[in-house]
Amino acid sequence: MNFTYLFVLIWLAYLICSGVLLFSRGFLLARVSKTETSSCRRLSLNPNDEYYLTPEVVNEIFKDVNASSSSNLCLPQKSKVIIIVVDALKYEFGLYNESITTEPLPYENKLLTLHQLLQQSPDNARLMRFKADPPTTTLQRLKGLTTGSLPTFIDIGSNFASPEINEDNIIDQIVKTDLPIVFLGDSTWTDLYPRRFKRAYSYPSFDIFDLDSVDNQVMQHLPKELASDDWEVLIAHFLGVDHCGHKHGPIHEEMARKLSEMNDIISSVVANMDNETTLLIMGDHGMTATGDHGGDTDDETNALLFAYSKQHKFYSSADSGSDSEMLQQIDLVPTLATILGAPIPYSNLGLVNFNIVPAVDVPHLNKFQTLLLHAWQNAQQIYRYFFSYAMENKRSFNVEQMESLETEFILLTHRVKSIYNEAAYKSFVRDLNVHLRDILNVCREIWVKFEPTQMSQGLLFSFLPIFFAFLLINNSNASDFEKIFKSKEVFYVYLMNIAAGVFGYRYFKNFSFKTEEHGVIFFTALTSAVLLAFYTLRHSNSIANNWANVKRFGHMPTRLLLFATMAVFFSNSFVVQEAKILSYLLAAVILLLVYELLQLSARLDFKNKFKWSQFWRSTALRLILASVLAICCIRFTYTLFRCREEQGDCADFSTSTPGFSVKRPSMGKTYILAVVIIVLYTTLTRLYLRSCGNLTGNSPNVVLARYGPTVASICAGGHILLANSAIKNIQRTHIDAMALVIYGLLLLQIIVVSWSPLMTFVLPPKNPNSISVNGRDSIVPEIFRKMKRMYEGDDAERRHEIPVVYGLATVYSSVIISFGIFLAMLMVVLLEPRASIGLIVCVVVGAIILSVHGILRYRTANSFESCVQPTFSAVVGWFLLAHFCFFATSHQTTLSQIDWRAAFVGRSSALGQSHLISGALVILNTFCGPIFFYCMYALLSTETFSLFALFPNLIRSSSNGRSNNKPDASTALNDIATEAVGFDMTRGELTLYEYENVFLGAGFKLATQFFMLQGIKIFCAMLACTIHCRHLMVWKIFAPRFIYEALATFVGLPALIVGYLLLLRINRAVDGLIKRINKDK
Amino acid sequence: MVSRFDQQKTKHQLFHVSISLATILICMTYMQYRRNWAHLGSFWDSLIVPIVFFGELLKVILARFFGRIEDGVLTVKQRQKKAAYFTPRELLGGLTLQFLCTLLYAFICIILGAPVLANYEQTFVLSLLMTLLTVSPTVFLLGGGGALQVCFCEKPDFITKCEDTALHLFKYNALGGILGAWAGSVVAPLDWGRDWQVYPIPNVIGALLGSALGNIYACTHVLYMCGRVYMSKKRS
Repeated sequence: MNFTYLFVLIWLAYLICSGVLLFSRGFLLARVSKTETSSCRRLSLNPNDEYYLTPEVVNEIFKDVNASSSSNLCLPQKSKVIIIVVDALKYEFGLYNESITTEPLPYENKLLTLHQLLQQSPDNARLMRFKADPPTTTLQRLKGLTTGSLPTFIDIGSNFASPEINEDNIIDQIVKTDLPIVFLGDSTWTDLYPRRFKRAYSYPSFDIFDLDSVDNQVMQHLPKELASDDWEVLIAHFLGVDHCGHKHGPIHEEMARKLSEMNDIISSVVANMDNETTLLIMGDHGMTATGDHGGDTDDETNALLFAYSKQHKFYSSADSGSDSEMLQQIDLVPTLATILGAPIPYSNLGLVNFNIVPAVDVPHLNKFQTLLLHAWQNAQQIYRYFFSYAMENKRSFNVEQMESLETEFILLTHRVKSIYNEAAYKSFVRDLNVHLRDILNVCREIWVKFEPTQMSQGLLFSFLPIFFAFLLINNSNASDFEKIFKSKEVFYVYLMNIAAGVFGYRYFKNFSFKTEEHGVIFFTALTSAVLLAFYTLRHSNSIANNWANVKRFGHMPTRLLLFATMAVFFSNSFVVQEAKILSYLLAAVILLLVYELLQLSARLDFKNKFKWSQFWRSTALRLILASVLAICCIRFTYTLFRCREEQGDCADFSTSTPGFSVKRPSMGKTYILAVVIIVLYTTLTRLYLRSCGNLTGNSPNVVLARYGPTVASICAGGHILLANSAIKNIQRTHIDAMALVIYGLLLLQIIVVSWSPLMTFVLPPKNPNSISVNGRDSIVPEIFRKMKRMYEGDDAERRHEIPVVYGLATVYSSVIISFGIFLAMLMVVLLEPRASIGLIVCVVVGAIILSVHGILRYRTANSFESCVQPTFSAVVGWFLLAHFCFFATSHQTTLSQIDWRAAFVGRSSALGQSHLISGALVILNTFCGPIFFYCMYALLSTETFSLFALFPNLIRSSSNGRSNNKPDASTALNDIATEAVGFDMTRGELTLYEYENVFLGAGFKLATQFFMLQGIKIFCAMLACTIHCRHLMVWKIFAPRFIYEALATFVGLPALIVGYLLLLRINRAVDGLIKRINKDK
Repeated sequence: MVSRFDQQKTKHQLFHVSISLATILICMTYMQYRRNWAHLGSFWDSLIVPIVFFGELLKVILARFFGRIEDGVLTVKQRQKKAAYFTPRELLGGLTLQFLCTLLYAFICIILGAPVLANYEQTFVLSLLMTLLTVSPTVFLLGGGGALQVCFCEKPDFITKCEDTALHLFKYNALGGILGAWAGSVVAPLDWGRDWQVYPIPNVIGALLGSALGNIYACTHVLYMCGRVYMSKKRS
C-alpha cells in the first residue's frame, strides 16, 4: 500500500489551510487584551480604617482632583446588589402595553411585576433599553458585561470553549474589595471566572432543548441564598427564556409560561430583599423573530434592564446628566463599581450611568460632589487605559485624532478643578460624556483594523501551493506521479518542513513576528514553496509537453462557470443571493454535460434519418430526462433555502411587521416527506448494491450494508418524527437513543472498512480440479468473463467450475457508496427535517451527474488514463454540488443562522458534555455538503466503470459511430470496448485494479484538482475581504462569508483526504482478494 | 476555403449578418424610443417579438433569393424537398415543432429559476423570443422535418449550398442568443433597485445582445477570411 500520495495530499492541505489561518489572524484581528488591573484607595466609613472619610480628607480631595492621591479612590459602598440575568430578555418583553386587553401575544405583558413597581414608585424603579454590542452570543455578552470592553469579532468562534478571562474585570475587583459573591445558574460564568465566587451553584447551559432544569435548580437555591446575609453581590442567571426562544420561538405558549415564571421569581425576590439592596434585572441580548441571536440587528441587540431599590431612590437623570432611556451594556461595569465602591476595571470603556445608582448620601459630600467624584474617577480610568493602549499600538491610531482627544481631555482636567455648584457640574458632565463617547467610538473603529502583513502573507501562502499544484500535478500524467513523488523524497520534504517549523517556533521573535504560530507558518510555507518550485523545475520538461497538448480554448464554458462561481465573493448582492446563483450555475453545468454528450452521440444515434421511435428509445433521451429531473430537483430546493436579512422579505428577520413569527412553521407534511425520502434513498441504494451483486455472502461489510441502512433509516425517520412531534411526554433519552444508534452504525462502518472493506463474495469452487486457466495470462479477466457467460446460460461454460466472485465489477464503488449511506444518515439525523430533504435531493443530483458523466467520459476517452480521469465539467459540477448542498440544507452564510441545535442531538446524558463533540456535530451539520461530496469524490472516476459493467449494452450503443465499420451483433462487447478505449470495459472496476498505478495516480490527481478548486475559492474569498475591508458591509456580509468558506476549507480538505484513504484501503483489500484467488487456483 | 468579396457566398453571408444586426439595432432603437423598459415582458405591448420575427423571415427570403441562382444544379432530392415546402404537412409540422420548442424553453426558464405560478406572460415572451432566435429560422428554411434532421443527424443530402451557408450563420445567432439570455441573469441579484432588473428584461436584452455578438463574430470571421485571401493575392 502506497502512502506517498496521501502524505503529499496532507502536505498540500496543510499549506493551503495555514495560509488561510494566517490571513484570518490578520483580518479578524483580536484586541490585544491588557493584563493590568486597577486599584484604589477605599474611603471607609469605619473610623479604624486607614482612609477614614473625614471632612479634612474631602477638602484635600477637592483641593486638586487630579492629584495622584485623589485620583485613585473609591467612595464607600452604596448598597448590596442582586443581579438577575435572564438570558435573551428582550426589551419588548418587559414593556407593559395597556392598550392590549384581549389575548396578548405569548410574550406580551407577562412581566407584570416590573410594571407594578414602576407605577408604585417611579423613583425607585427604572426600566431601560440595554443596548448590547454585537456579536450577541451569551459568552461574548458576559465578557462585555464584566470587563466593560468591546468584544471583538473573532471571539464569536470560541463560544464552545469558554476560557478564563485574564483581563481586568468587575468580578475580580469585587472579590478584591472583599465583597463576597454568590452565583447561581449558567455554568458559563464559572468557566469564565473559576474560583471567584463564595458559593456557586452552576449548571451546564448545555442542552438547549431543556427549558426548565437549570431554572428549577436556581429557583430551588435562590430563596435560601436570599435569606442568608453573608454575600454582598448575588448573581442569578436564568436560561429558560433563551432556550425557549431557540426551541419554540417567541410566539409559543411555552414562552408565556417561562416569562410568567420569571415574573414570579422577580416578585418573590422583590418581596424578600432588604432595604439596603439594589436589584438589577437584565437580559444579555435580545432575539430575532425566530428566537435566535448572534447578529447585530436591533431585535438582537435591544435587551432589557430593570433596576429597583426598595428604600433609596435612584439618582434622577436631571441630577446626573445620564441617559435615562438607554444603557449601553459596557456601562454596567462602571455603574456596578460605583454602587459597590469597587475600582473600575482597567480596560473598561463604559460610562457610569447614575440612573440606576441608588442615591445614598456619602458623609461630608454634596450630591453633586459625589457624582463628580464618580464621573471623574471613571474618566481618569478610561483616559489611562486608552492612552496606554494607544502608546503601545501607535501605528493603529490616527495621530491628529489622538492629539485632539488629548487636548480635549487636558481642557477637561483644568475645568474639573473649578466646579463649585450643581449647574457647573451638569454642563461639565455633559461635555465629559461626549468626550468619553468619542473615545469609545475611536476604539470601536480601531478594533476593526487589520494587520496587512499577515493578510498579505496569508494570501500569498495560500496562493503558492495552489499555483504549484496546478503546474506540477494538473499538468502531469497520472502514471507519472510514481516517478515524481518518491516516498523517500516525500519523507525528506516532511523532515525539512518540520525543521523549518521548529526554526520558526524558536526564532519567531528575531523576525519580528508576533506569535509562534506566525513564525511556524511563515517558515514552513516558505520552505514548501521552494520545494514545490524545485519539483516543478525538475519535471518542467514533461509539464511543458503536457501543457502543449492542452487545447488553447478548451473547456471555455466550464471555465466561465468557474469564474462566475468565484466572482460571487466580490459583490455583496451576489453573496446575499449566493444560493440562487449556485443553483443556476449548477444547472448550467448539468446542461453543459448533457450538451457535450448530445453533441457526441445524437448524430451517432440517428444516421441519416430522424425517427421519433428511435429517439424515444435512445439513451440520449433517457439522459436528457435524467438531467431535467436533476435540474427540477435543484429548482425544488429553492423552497428549502433559508433567507437572510438583506433579502428583504425574510420571515426570520421580519422587522417591518410588528411582533414575531411562529418558530419553524414547517408542518407535519414536511416530516412525513422527509421520512419517505430517507426511506426511498436507502431502499434505492440497497437495490443498486444488490443488483451489482454486492449484497451477497456474509463478509462483515456486506452484512452491515444489508441491515445497517435499514436500521439507520428507521432510526433517522423515528428521530425526525419524535423530536418534532407535539407529544410532550416522550423521554429525551428515547429520542436520543435513535441518534446514538446512527452514530454507532457509522462508527461500526468505519471499523469494518478499516478491517475488511470488501463487499464481494467468492463462491467456493465445487470441483477445483476442473479449472483450466492458462497460467500465463492474468486470471482476473478470465474469471469475470466466464462468470458472465455462465449467467448467460452457456452450458459449456457451466461445466468449468471456476471461482465465481459476486460484486467484483463494482468492487470499489460499492464500498464508497455504502460508506456514503451511513455518512448521509448521520447528517440526516443532525439536520432539520427540511434540510435533510435537501441533502437527499443533492445526493440524487450527484447520482445523475455521475451517470451522465460516466457515459460522456467513456465516449470521449481514448485510453484507460483518460477514462479514469473525469472531465473538467464534471469536476466543476461536483465541486459546485458540494457547495450548493450547503444552501440546499437550509444554511445561510450569516452568523446568527448557525444551527446550534445539532450540537444536542443524542447528547442528553450518554455522550458527555465535551465541547469538542458539540463543535464536531455543528460542523457536520453546517458543512454536510462539502464533507459528504468530498468524501465521495472517488466515485467520479470509478462510476464510469461500474456503469458499463452494469449495462454492457451501453458499450455497443456508444461505439457505433466510433468505428466506421458498423460492428455486427456477434462481435463480443469486450472486443468493441478494447477497440474503442484500449481495454476491456465489460470487466468493470476490476480494470482499475489492473491499472492500479494509473488509477491511484488519477485518484490523487482528482483530489488535488478539488484542492485547487477549493483553494481558489477560499483565495477569492480572502481577496474579496482584502479589497472590501473598508466596505460598509464588511462585517455583515464579507467577513461571515469568509469565515464560512474558511471553515469549509478546513473540513473539506480533510474530507478529500478521507476519500482518498478510503480508496487506498479498498485497493489494498482488492489486492489481497485477487492474490488469494490466484493462490487457491 | 477561398472566399472573396465578390463571391456569391460571401455576399450572402454579409447580407445575412447585416440583416441580423439591423434587426437588433431596430430593437434597440425601439427600446430607446419607448424609454420605459418595463413593458418588454408583456406580449401585446412590446414590438420586440414581431421585429425579430420579420428579421428572421427576411433572412430566409435572402437565402431563397441567393438560392435561386443555383436552381439549375439541384439534385433530385433537393428538388423534391423544395417542392414539398408549402405542403400542409410540412407547414403543420413546422408550427408544431416551434410550439413545442416554445413550451420547452418556458419549461427551461422555470427550472432555471423563473417563478412557477406567476409571470406566465413574461416567461412566454422570453421563450417565444428564444424560439425565434434559435429554432424558427431553420424551420422557416427547411420545414419541420428538415430542421429536426439538421439538428440531430449528420448533414442531410437535400441541403443546398446556399441553405448550408444560412444554417451556418443561424448557428451563431442561436448560440449567441442562448448564452446571452443565460448570462443576462447576472444583473438580477444586484441591489441597484432599477426597474429593468425585473425578471424577463435582462434576459430579453441579453438574448438580443448575445445574438448580436454572435453575428458580429460571424461577420468578423467572414471579413477576416476575405481579407486574408485579398492580402495573399496582392502579395502574389
